[in-house]
Amino acid sequence: MMIDLNKIDFGSILRRYDAEAENTDSPEAVAAKMLPEDPILKEVASAVLYMKFKEVGPAVMKALQEGTAPLDIINKGLVVGMEIVSLLYAQHIYYLPEIMMAAKVMEVGIAIAEKQIPGGRTTKGVVVMHAAEGDPHDIGKNIAAVMMRSSGYTVVDLGKDVAVTDVVAAVKEHKPFLVTGTALMTTTMTAMKTGSEELIKEGITIPYMSAGGAVNRDFAESFDLGIYSEKAPQTPLIADKIIAGYDWKKIREEWDDIVGGA
Amino acid sequence: MAKFTKMAYESADDMIFGHAKKPVSYGLGIKVGAGRVIPEINYAPRPGTEKSVEKITKEYVDYISKDAITRAVTLGFPDLQLETEWVTQMGTVPGMAASVVAGQKAITEKYHDEYGINLAVRHTIPDQREADHGLRPGMDSKFGYPEKFFECCEIACENGADLLSVESVGGKEFADYAVTNGDITAFLFGVGYLGSIDMENIWTQMVDICKKNKTAAGGDTNCSGANVSMFMAGGMLDNDVQKTFSAVTRCISAARTMVAMECGATGPDKDCGYEGVIIKSITGMPAAQEGKNCQCAHADLQGNLMAQCADVWSNESVEYHPEFGGTSVQCWLGPLGYECSLMNTAIATGQAKVLRDLYMASDRTRGPEGYVLSYDNAWKVGKAIAENGDNYYLRAKAAGITGAQIIREGYDKKELILTKKQLDVLDNIIKELSSLPDSEDEFYDYCVRKYKDEVPNFKPASYGL
Repeated sequence: MMIDLNKIDFGSILRRYDAEAENTDSPEAVAAKMLPEDPILKEVASAVLYMKFKEVGPAVMKALQEGTAPLDIINKGLVVGMEIVSLLYAQHIYYLPEIMMAAKVMEVGIAIAEKQIPGGRTTKGVVVMHAAEGDPHDIGKNIAAVMMRSSGYTVVDLGKDVAVTDVVAAVKEHKPFLVTGTALMTTTMTAMKTGSEELIKEGITIPYMSAGGAVNRDFAESFDLGIYSEKAPQTPLIADKIIAGYDWKKIREEWDDIVGGA
Repeated sequence: MAKFTKMAYESADDMIFGHAKKPVSYGLGIKVGAGRVIPEINYAPRPGTEKSVEKITKEYVDYISKDAITRAVTLGFPDLQLETEWVTQMGTVPGMAASVVAGQKAITEKYHDEYGINLAVRHTIPDQREADHGLRPGMDSKFGYPEKFFECCEIACENGADLLSVESVGGKEFADYAVTNGDITAFLFGVGYLGSIDMENIWTQMVDICKKNKTAAGGDTNCSGANVSMFMAGGMLDNDVQKTFSAVTRCISAARTMVAMECGATGPDKDCGYEGVIIKSITGMPAAQEGKNCQCAHADLQGNLMAQCADVWSNESVEYHPEFGGTSVQCWLGPLGYECSLMNTAIATGQAKVLRDLYMASDRTRGPEGYVLSYDNAWKVGKAIAENGDNYYLRAKAAGITGAQIIREGYDKKELILTKKQLDVLDNIIKELSSLPDSEDEFYDYCVRKYKDEVPNFKPASYGL
């Protein structure tokens, strides 16, 4: 080596903002004020918060045996735990793996609790998600699907490389409030435009969200129904607005405010 | 098939950009690793041009190729490699790929004849195989993607491809799970083990097709694994994947991507394979790399460093569109070619090692991935792979452990800063990889049990298991 690395002041070359800005708060400290006061529900929420696969089942069963309503176990226990996880993610204390694991724990708990609800649990809404025709890249869609489920939505996941005709058929069958497509390639993202045109022909005017590496906001908003999501955590925020009554035009108008810092 | 069990380079300091132990010649005067770094421009056609054979041929040949070559001539660059990463329609629409490949061959011949510029076209075929349906011929009755994979190789080579490459996806079903869940064992199993088996299967056949058609067999990249990991780890403000995790996945991926060379590929491998420097240290074959001049496609934390041992220097990919200074391929080729010019000037003046070290030092501590890919550290990872070269599992595991330990040592001696989270993840990786069995069979059984429910689309038959 020609250069003596010991003589280099790397701080004069670059700045490690990630280390400088590191949030060293503990999950426990952030969660302390948010966890339920009820000890039974606190145990349920903690199982999600700390990703305890083996503990969530017994915690939910215990709550049911103690007479806690199944819907309360879900909404005041499991969902609260997940909301804390989302906050920790936003504050850079938790990262993607924690989100994925906590979501799985939450789903295990929900599956147990909702069996006790006559007619099943009501959902915030149904979303149809897919990766575009010809596109095998679906990791972003999968992450967004987890975040949508974690936010209380029912996801119909069509998978990857999904033909436009299959997307349209799924929308007609499941009657979602939102359909999403992702693409990593410039020549596969055009399937979303075709898909929205086909939906309009069928008289369907729900928002058609485009996302993924090749997609930008200009493209996503270049055709009727089209809206954009830059990254997975934005998707439930936009979905909440659609449920609140926003159509695709209003989503576009208020997009910056809706996604905020997500 | 002989495996690499010795290092091509006896010392890390012998590695330098523009020079490879085993240089390669192909195309119209292109010589890689023979004393000059070659610029490689990659591009994506505009949306909508994939609608017909005529439109996409015109886009690739009359617009993109012509624009790039004329700009290279305009700026006085002696060499230019074009890279066409096939859009998926080229793998499915009859006649589309043949038209593009033949058209690009013809236009390179025209400009080579007219100006004497050295030219070649790398064709990177699409790997659309899906784990859900099966990776080997006969398994995918829905799409027939495994069969189409080899048809694409034949079409590319028969119609004039100078260099054949692919970004193959073997093991991706585990890599996706591993990256999103921070599971290093799943990555080792998917990419290090299964990915290597898949590489051996496809590259043995790809090399045969290349030999039959006198096309150079370039190489691969773990784009679908280690790059996903690196891109999700992102920059200083990102918070999805820990950079210590992505750095170790990069080391593991080297043991897998190298299989192409063991099957007879000659390099240069794919630019987005940041593992290329590790592979070059073992094989002595030329490496294509990318960094600061690929910001049109993505940002990473080792923009200068990746040039340290590059033999081909790429922009990764840019969508074709107009800019103030010309079209996008022209505007991105400019800095790419001038960077090569700087490197080649350093070689010509005996200053190559100085420039190499400047490239390396400027990014060495920007993040864990740059740190472990610094050529001195990359060489150590390569050595660990070569020492365990006979066994896919053991060499990938050795790469991961060695890379992780190098990062830990860098932190311990206060050369590399790590956040607490990065350090925690790193220590867990070292502990986890070190606890895995020494037996390949035991490891396989362990992973099949462990991921039975987590990775339900794993089909052993995709890997001949």
